[in-house]
Amino acid sequence: MSFNTKNTVKQYDNTTSKDVIIKLEDVSTVYEGAKKTAIKNVNLTVMRKELVYVVGPNAAGKTTLLETINGILPTFKGKISVFGLNVKTHGRQVRCRIGYVPQDFMVKPGEPYTTLDVVLMGRYGQIGVFNHPSEQDKVKASEAMKLIGIEELAGKPMGKLSGGQQQKVMLARALAKNPKILLLDEPFSNLDPDSRGQIPTLITKLHQEKDLTTLIVTHDIHHMLDRCNRVIVVSNGKITFDGTPEKALPLVENHPHTTSLEAPHY
Amino acid sequence: MILLEFAIMQRALIACVLAGFLMGLIGVFVVRMRLSAIGYSMSHGAFAGAALGAATATNPLLTGLLFASSSAFLIGPIADRARLHADTITSIIFPLNMALAFVFLTLVPEIGLSSQVANVLWGSIISMTNADLVYLVTLFATTLAIVYFVWKELFAIMFSRKLAEADGINTKPFIYLIIFLAGVVITFSLKLVGGLLIYALLFNPASTVLQFSENMRKVVIVSPIIGMATTVSGLFVSLFFDMPVGSCIVIVSTIVFAIALLFSPKRRRKEENEK
Repeated sequence: MSFNTKNTVKQYDNTTSKDVIIKLEDVSTVYEGAKKTAIKNVNLTVMRKELVYVVGPNAAGKTTLLETINGILPTFKGKISVFGLNVKTHGRQVRCRIGYVPQDFMVKPGEPYTTLDVVLMGRYGQIGVFNHPSEQDKVKASEAMKLIGIEELAGKPMGKLSGGQQQKVMLARALAKNPKILLLDEPFSNLDPDSRGQIPTLITKLHQEKDLTTLIVTHDIHHMLDRCNRVIVVSNGKITFDGTPEKALPLVENHPHTTSLEAPHY
Repeated sequence: MILLEFAIMQRALIACVLAGFLMGLIGVFVVRMRLSAIGYSMSHGAFAGAALGAATATNPLLTGLLFASSSAFLIGPIADRARLHADTITSIIFPLNMALAFVFLTLVPEIGLSSQVANVLWGSIISMTNADLVYLVTLFATTLAIVYFVWKELFAIMFSRKLAEADGINTKPFIYLIIFLAGVVITFSLKLVGGLLIYALLFNPASTVLQFSENMRKVVIVSPIIGMATTVSGLFVSLFFDMPVGSCIVIVSTIVFAIALLFSPKRRRKEENEK
């Protein structure tokens, strides 16, 4: 497997304070009702346009890390800045510009939401209270669906879609808001074999064309590893490795929780 | 005499239409936002408040509203502060409200099943006044306006509160708004079926429509219509068989839900999937 390390090195070399898009300073997060901290004293800086892979064993704190960055976890210690804004005080503004795809989000059969409804919801935060979605919002939602290749599902009830199709809808929902950052939590877990080839390619394309900063949490290290700039290993709520994919591979391949059970699809 | 009976019936019918519609509408949000336990608690808060009103010779509507909204305002913030699920707090407030209601009812002068106690327990639609109708019409218009203006936020929260937050919607004020609105609608509908049965009107219409529809806009339109139809039918059934109005409304509403469940395509699909 070859790695696109040139890009990584170039980005690291060009780092200026202007390029910092996500900054975590000594951040600890506790889940509601839990006593144990889910992530502990984490320091992390992510540059604009980076494509970062977050790997680690189950319950290591990977999902917590994503939900701490977009500020949907209510309690945390330390300081989190995204787009130069403090997430604690400007959470809503920050989240309007972050596309988030949660882990294993499944809509049950019979739930009363169409696919287009769900994708359009991605734009609601930007529309503002008391306003209704405009034609332009609907066009943006349709464009996001087209981009993912699910435009024919627009009128279908979400609950009637397969797990892979629902995952694509969630990705379209995240893209409908024209985000500057994409936070994807296990985005390949429910995809069928064909989509497992298509979606990583699409994410890479979007990342490059739309100047997105992308963080992907996954167990399956083979997907896109050759396309990412950086790998972060999270274990027991701490970042135990932060470096290039080349250096990360020996570490994660030997780890039983992060090694793919399948061979790479491309 | 005939004219008087006609006026009472007219008010009862209008009250059934308005309260049935409102309960059916608010019920959709309560059910879909998983606030059912809060709904129970508020219903019985309104019941306790109305009982206090009867005991102290105060307007039961006022005390009912005070108790229902206090329950509504306490549950959310206490749950948030105590880091507990709203259901836990609700499970504590619900029996407390019931206990208070029964204590207050024993304090009503001339104890026995006096008419005031009976009104609080079972409702008394024939005692609807013109002022009650004015309150209901105002509440009807206000609720429709609120739902229209914040529909997209409510829609997103009903789908997933977590995703709505992730998309930049501040969900807390909207959830509190629905809790408060439910408390007010319950209180103003109390004369229809009484404090013990009121929550059936909140959940039955929404649960009935959700057996069929896969489009939330249709659910929000059809549920109030079912709410209206069941309350009006219940009123006529009670007149025909000379039985309590509140009980008849709840029985009709439950029969409608049972029929919906019987023919529910969603239930059938679930059964097939389980096989």
